[in-house]
Amino acid sequence: MSIELQQEIKIDESFYKVKEIRQLTDETFSLRLPKSRFNYRAGQHISLGIRGDYQSREYSIYSGENDDHLEVLVKEVKKGYFTPKLSKLKPGDLVEVSGPFGKFRIDEKKIADHKFVFIASGTGIAPFRSMVRTYPQLDYQLIHGVRYGNEAYDRHEYEQERHILCTSGDKTGKVHGRLTTYLKKASFDNNTQFYLCGNSNMIFDALEILKDKGFERDQIHCEVYF
Amino acid sequence: MNSTKKRIAFKTLGCRLNQYETDALVSDFDKGGYEIVDFKEQADVVVVNTCTVTNQSDQKSRNMISQAARNNQGSVVVVTGCMANNYKETLEGENKITYVVENNRKGSILNLVDAHFGGELLHPEKLEADVFQFNTVDKSLHTRSAIKIQDGCDNFCTFCIIPTVRGRAVSRPLPQIIENVEDTLANGFKELVITGVNIGRYEWEDKRFEDVLEAILNVPGDFRVRISSLEPDGFGNRLVDLFDHPKLTPHLHLCLQSGSDKVLLRMRRMYDYNRFKNLVERFRDKYTEFNFTTDLIVGFPDESEEDFQESLNAVSTFGFGHVHTFKYSVRKGTRAERMENHLPEKIKNARSARIRQASEENRSRYLSSFIGKEQTVLIETIDARGYATGYGEHYVPVRFKGKGLQKNTFQIVRITRIEGKGEQMRLVGEL
Repeated sequence: MSIELQQEIKIDESFYKVKEIRQLTDETFSLRLPKSRFNYRAGQHISLGIRGDYQSREYSIYSGENDDHLEVLVKEVKKGYFTPKLSKLKPGDLVEVSGPFGKFRIDEKKIADHKFVFIASGTGIAPFRSMVRTYPQLDYQLIHGVRYGNEAYDRHEYEQERHILCTSGDKTGKVHGRLTTYLKKASFDNNTQFYLCGNSNMIFDALEILKDKGFERDQIHCEVYF
Repeated sequence: MNSTKKRIAFKTLGCRLNQYETDALVSDFDKGGYEIVDFKEQADVVVVNTCTVTNQSDQKSRNMISQAARNNQGSVVVVTGCMANNYKETLEGENKITYVVENNRKGSILNLVDAHFGGELLHPEKLEADVFQFNTVDKSLHTRSAIKIQDGCDNFCTFCIIPTVRGRAVSRPLPQIIENVEDTLANGFKELVITGVNIGRYEWEDKRFEDVLEAILNVPGDFRVRISSLEPDGFGNRLVDLFDHPKLTPHLHLCLQSGSDKVLLRMRRMYDYNRFKNLVERFRDKYTEFNFTTDLIVGFPDESEEDFQESLNAVSTFGFGHVHTFKYSVRKGTRAERMENHLPEKIKNARSARIRQASEENRSRYLSSFIGKEQTVLIETIDARGYATGYGEHYVPVRFKGKGLQKNTFQIVRITRIEGKGEQMRLVGEL
């Protein structure tokens, strides 16, 4: 039997010139790259490399599907290997992008009759900005846990009543304390789809809280940052 | 024997998918006029189909390449498989290797070797790249043939190198799968094993895994179907109900990897312990003797004694018929490589031994439950004393004696006892 099908299994990799760097706090910035022919779904991530460096790291895409650039959100880890290098990039420098990867996506069939609750810690907000920009009709609530209020990246883009900022280090958020404290007290409709993104401890705790509230694991989607 | 025939030997390491791909190559070379010889014999060409899933697989693959080159000096040594993708440049720099062929060009190795003996030195990158181009298996050392329905994986579990070496998930069109099934059955195979890297994620047009399974089961003929290995996410009752079909054997290799939700989360697995449990319970409620086997990784970075205990408990809770235990080993370029608190080898060895012991106890219990019952065994080998061996429908090994037995035939065997220990434990029966 001969098969005519031709299917490459190559992982797509391309070099992109940095278009713009937006400094959002002292430690956090966004890296904008030309979108070019790069197609992705809101919620997916890419692997980012620096030209001449053998290492790469994964970042959720921060831009919407229809934006004219591809954007990621980066928090510099001062003693880390990779983010200090990223923080030194200038417009025009080359980065290597592989992907997109991942199934952390909105099920479009559910948009019309489901509520969406996005739960993020720190830069874990990235995929949710992409989702909110991509699907303006979403009935969503964004619960964002940070230490200080200035880490509410691009907060003006979210409708105020949908954005629950939880700050544990100051009192500038709607909620003073960890987002898990808020989650324990909050109530949600049965037809809610939950999306969790951030560090594994937050996700593990949030999962337990939601399961204790009676929500099924199938309603809860996770993207862990390490 | 035609002495002008070129002699070719194969060595396969790793998964069923690799085995299937070697089987397809064996058929190709047989049809192409080559004489297939055992790996231990002298050959003009040696193909080593490698694996890179763990450090141990790398080491075994390297040993086999060295052995192939040492035993066949001056012969053509072809290295393919996942290690060829993972260490391509290093392997290309080794003089003992003639060609390094990546996975997506593996199906064209006959063209490469033919060209070589014709005086044309092709670069493997000039070969056709298609992960589904393998011809139907018609000559194999096995009584069962794999049916490849899918390749690659998009899950990117944090410990796993496979998405990098096998590529993104691609699904074979259903009509081609069915054509392949019909051709394989026409070649006399009685057992088909549905194979791929992540077959549960099959997606072609509106067809999903259950549709493929149902379509294969509905092909006419005297054969049975196994599922090679499945990730425990995304399945509903339809999969459970498909096991009502008499051709579908009651066994699943369902990969748990860890019994701890915290570890599963750090592994970036798509399910938690309860989801796994629910799936197992749905099967066992309906088919009480259903055989679940699994993979467990022990010693994942930061795995606590409590986490490990949850894996150990899972072994007895789920009564796995077999547990394939892997000690976690770092794969370069994976996310887990950069995680903190990698565990010492000593702890991994101790945990691995505890899982193995629990697994053997389970296996003994599970096999004993078949005493006094019947299994339909597909005969794989018959020794000089007339003892036949093969697997029953529950994927349990069975040995029995009979007159006039023939390989590759089904026999109903009444189980009388178990024999052997550990991995060698098997059922003994009579006709």
